[in-house]
Amino acid sequence: MHLDAKIPGGPLAEKWDRHKFELKLINPANKRKFEIIVVGTGLAGGSAAASLAELGYNVKSYCIQDTPRRAHSIAAQGGINASKNYQNDADSDRRLFYDTIKGGDFRAREANVYRLAQVSGNIIDQCVAQGVPFAREYGGLLANRSFGGAQVSRTFYARGQTGQQLLLGAYSALSRQIAAGKVQMFTRREMVDLVLVGGQARGIVVRNLITGDIETHTGDAVVLCTGGYANVFFLSTNAMACNVTASYRAYMKGAMFANPCFTQIHPTCIPVHGTYQSKLTLMSESLRNDGRVWVPKTAGDKRSPDQIPETERDYFLERKYPSFGNLVPRDVASRNAKEQCDQGKGVGETGLAVYLDFRDAINRDGKDVIAQKYGNLFQMYEKITADNPYEKPMMIYPAVHYAMGGLWVDYNLMSTIPGLFVLGEANFSDHGANRLGASALMQGLADGYFVIPYTIGGYFAGAKLPKVSADQTEFTIAAKEADIRTKRLLSINGKRTVDDIHRELGNILWNYCGMARNDAGLTKARTLIQSLRSEFWENVRVPGSDKDINQSLERAGRVADFLEFSELMVVDALTRRESCGGHFNEAFQTEENEARRDDENFCHVAAWEYAGEGKDPVFHKEPLVFENVKLTQRSYK
Amino acid sequence: MSWFVNTLGSSIGKKLMMAISGLSFCGFLVAHLAGNLFIYGGRDAFNSYATHLHSLGPLVTIAELGLLTMALIHVLTGATLFYENLQSRPQRYAVNKSAGGRTIGSATMPYTGAFLLLFVIFHLLNFHFVDKTHITIFDIVSKSFSHPAYVVFYVLAMIIAGIHVSHGLWSAFQTLGANHPKYMPVIMMLSLVFSLIVGIGFGFLPIYISLIA
Amino acid sequence: MTKTINLTLKVWRQPSTESKGGFETYQASDISTDMSFLEMLDVVNEKLTMDGKEPIAFDHDCREGICGQCGSVVNGRAHGPEKGTTLCQLHMRHFSDGDTIAIEPFRARAFKVLKDLMVDRSALDKVIQAGGYVSVNTGGTPDANAIPISKEIADKAMDAAACIGCGACVAACPNASAMLFVSAKVSQLALLPQGRPEAARRVTAMVRTMDKMGFGNCSNERECEAECPKEISITNIARMNREFFKAGFFSATK
Ligand SMILES: Cc1cc2nc3c(=O)[nH]c(=O)nc-3n(C[C@H](O)[C@H](O)[C@H](O)COP(=O)(O)OP(=O)(O)OC[C@H]3O[C@@H](n4cnc5c(N)ncnc54)[C@H](O)[C@@H]3O)c2cc1C
Ligand code: HEM
Ligand code: SF4
Ligand code: FES
Repeated sequence: MHLDAKIPGGPLAEKWDRHKFELKLINPANKRKFEIIVVGTGLAGGSAAASLAELGYNVKSYCIQDTPRRAHSIAAQGGINASKNYQNDADSDRRLFYDTIKGGDFRAREANVYRLAQVSGNIIDQCVAQGVPFAREYGGLLANRSFGGAQVSRTFYARGQTGQQLLLGAYSALSRQIAAGKVQMFTRREMVDLVLVGGQARGIVVRNLITGDIETHTGDAVVLCTGGYANVFFLSTNAMACNVTASYRAYMKGAMFANPCFTQIHPTCIPVHGTYQSKLTLMSESLRNDGRVWVPKTAGDKRSPDQIPETERDYFLERKYPSFGNLVPRDVASRNAKEQCDQGKGVGETGLAVYLDFRDAINRDGKDVIAQKYGNLFQMYEKITADNPYEKPMMIYPAVHYAMGGLWVDYNLMSTIPGLFVLGEANFSDHGANRLGASALMQGLADGYFVIPYTIGGYFAGAKLPKVSADQTEFTIAAKEADIRTKRLLSINGKRTVDDIHRELGNILWNYCGMARNDAGLTKARTLIQSLRSEFWENVRVPGSDKDINQSLERAGRVADFLEFSELMVVDALTRRESCGGHFNEAFQTEENEARRDDENFCHVAAWEYAGEGKDPVFHKEPLVFENVKLTQRSYK
Repeated sequence: MSWFVNTLGSSIGKKLMMAISGLSFCGFLVAHLAGNLFIYGGRDAFNSYATHLHSLGPLVTIAELGLLTMALIHVLTGATLFYENLQSRPQRYAVNKSAGGRTIGSATMPYTGAFLLLFVIFHLLNFHFVDKTHITIFDIVSKSFSHPAYVVFYVLAMIIAGIHVSHGLWSAFQTLGANHPKYMPVIMMLSLVFSLIVGIGFGFLPIYISLIA
Repeated sequence: MTKTINLTLKVWRQPSTESKGGFETYQASDISTDMSFLEMLDVVNEKLTMDGKEPIAFDHDCREGICGQCGSVVNGRAHGPEKGTTLCQLHMRHFSDGDTIAIEPFRARAFKVLKDLMVDRSALDKVIQAGGYVSVNTGGTPDANAIPISKEIADKAMDAAACIGCGACVAACPNASAMLFVSAKVSQLALLPQGRPEAARRVTAMVRTMDKMGFGNCSNERECEAECPKEISITNIARMNREFFKAGFFSATK
């Protein structure tokens, strides 16, 4: 199969305009005749559903939570990038584009990323018009801060709750369309399958999480905005319900999965402190604006931090990367923290932590200024750890945070299944092998507000869409299969709980497919996953029934898919014989322990096709062509 | 006029009626207390105040009718609110604990209110709807308060009135939308002072009268 | 440092909306004081599962105090005893060995119990749908810096916008009133110039819908403010009242 990314011709900066002009239009009166299924109400799904409904399409929207406003995007703290150049520091679309491509270690598509930079400014305009209360300066204009991987200040923020405010903006637009009757909202529904009719995506199967009913829903196109799969690691900064089920089911139906091994490990999270732990908490990257990362110079130094004199501290990021200092990209910061801990210099009870110290910033700017900037984060840290970061340096350690990989999409955000569009974190498109801070919110909203409204019209204008109904065999069979699967999970009645198995899966991935990988470990992980999967299907215990609310059953379904998907991750990691961004294979590193790319052989997107149960997935390649940037060894020195 | 009914009939509209009628009572209390202070001037001072007041004629009637309207509004709306609020949580909590927001005043508004209604009726029957052709108001009052039970009941009622307005006054400002970080603490303080004035100001009178009687 | 405690839990169990619920008693043993309250419930649930019983159903998602999905009444307090804290951010170090903890769902006529500690808070969404938005379509909006907004106003709007929609204000209010939640959204949009054009229509529609949903009437008890995990202030309620009177008596809105 040939992967056609459908990148428009012409110069980079003109591609999107040109494409918008060339896309066929649907007359406003005819838009009413189309019904679009949008799964997910995060930044991507919420903005898409609202914008499509505003255009006149009939939209059905779905989410797992009890209200669309609680999608995981709500948890994003730090900010959203835009190339507004409000700070007069020489920012531009081109610079944002370049930073993002470079930050992604040159494994993203130029045209997509440029488009992202181009619409980034519109996003901020849109959000302000919706009433998003971004931080402002005394003069009344918008404030900015800096994020990792950039030397300009282009991040817009709303205290430490940027994701919340952006999502509430999208949610309000969505609510308006629900009230107008243009969006039908289905909450507490979990998509468990995609339905194809005549090779086109024409509907979904969902489980009603209140009644347990398996429901089928039809549409003329399906837009997946179901977020990332970082929870495959069990412990991550993601919300508990984040899953790969929707994406993985689409993959099983023929959508290709791109770069599944590209996962991001975020450097500044609260370290793990017990086996009962259910999730990890992120401390926003913005803290690295003022916090300094250090470890004791000598391994095994167990003195309390205030006893360690300046000369015996190693500010390793500042030392190794003088020009970016503490603001190096996430993959670099994480790997360096791990390296220090591996050398025995880690701090805290477990030795798996480094300090993030605000002492100097507090001495320089005063406690009040620091409290204004980070007060709520400091408070959150204190709530969890019972330590006061104003007095004692924070202890941080990397944690799984984000999935750059996702379903493969072309320039129109359509997957390899006609009529199946994928937006936001669920697709693979814009962040290459590593995402820069404050870019996911930008991408989710760009996809939803400013890309899909145009490109879906192009699809409808060119597609033949016969009428479908939920009584058709394609739907009844899919529903039946979903039902059988649920019943099977309930009937095993083994000796291990779902969480117990999920935790073990997480450990396997963290140890062998985490921050640093090697062939032996990955190979081992593959067999471990396979045997854990068989154990799951023989020995898991899922209590309760399928006829009402059953949270264990919900989790079991998700973990079953994680157990399949994790193998795909490992296979992808084994196949990519280079290190880049979040994928660091120890066999491929420079003398200074930096990731060594192999642009000659691996400058491509790895897209995997499902080959059937028990069969190895089939590899496809979309070569990446760089016409506007020079591929260089990423350097933040 | 549907806009008018819609606005006043809403939850916030009902609160508005409570606030305005409640504030008018507070105003009345101030006037009433000022008048009652003449008691400290002795029999003649108080009686001449009463005659003076009644010489105002129709003005008094208008004021009385106004107060009666306000009373009807306050009592009926208060009862509606109380009933609706009971309905809004059909299944109660097994464990109830305050987070520190409520006060004795706020938690007991309907009960102190109901008590005040009974009191007001009793009070009017006692001192207002009585034949005053052969006896002056001062004598009625001092005769009544020679019974210790009367004194106790009146003092109690005044303490309860104080409790009612200790929440009522600031709450009325909040309801009207007058909450400003600079002024709210002052209003809160004023409510407290006002409730003390009402409680002590009115409450001490029966004691004083019973002592001189 | 890490310490463990033993607790007795009295948990409200109710299989479905229609069924009658009641309290069940469970022992939570060897609970690390570093655990969050929900992690403690996870531990209890793992044990219930292995004992062949149904685990306790409770809502949660982000577990970092921002999604608003979690929440129960713990010993009579919505989200438990700590100020400005959601249930997921409440840590067991605030309890002592041997404590008995009563856990009940948020209760209000407008919030039906779905199962155990899970309730239906969709009434809050209905209120937002009535007008909790600025009616702008995607595209065609002016430059973000076109209208300067003073920092003071932007900060106040942000204070109000911090509401996570958890419904604890309703749960904590002796009258089950939703005024704090509704006023937070009304205030945010009434403060910002972008929200002014339809301020009158918005507040009228939202208050009417709030009333229709069966919430109680505010009597300024201030329990909401004291319990709100985001410490939303009742000055927002006063602002909403002002907006409502303005709309009702002085605008064209009917
Ligand atoms: C703690 C944290 C902080 C972050 N901070 C930042 C930041 O500061 N800046 C930044 O740019 N990015 C940040 N990110 C990343 C960013 O928040 C996410 O990548 C982005 O919000 C994802 O948005 P989304 O719309 O794609 O998906 P989500 O917001 O995850 O939404 C997924 C939606 O899909 C629904 N769903 C999922 N599966 C199913 C299913 N099977 N059936 C039905 N519905 C389903 C869910 O209910 C939900 O509505 C952060 C991430 C985390 C975890
Ligand atoms: C001297 C007489 C009284 C005075 C000065 C008075 C004053 C007030 C004031 C100022 C309020 C506050 C309104 C608000 O919160 O907006 C109030 C509330 C209330 N009053 Fe009275 N009141 C009096 C008598 C009564 C009586 C006789 C009743 C009997 C039914 C009553 C019942 C209530 C109730 C139930 C409330 C609370 C309403 C609510 O906030 O929901 N009051 N009162
Ligand atoms: S106002 Fe506070 S308590 Fe009420 S819903 Fe919002 S965050 Fe929760
Ligand atoms: S689980 Fe999200 S706020 Fe508690």
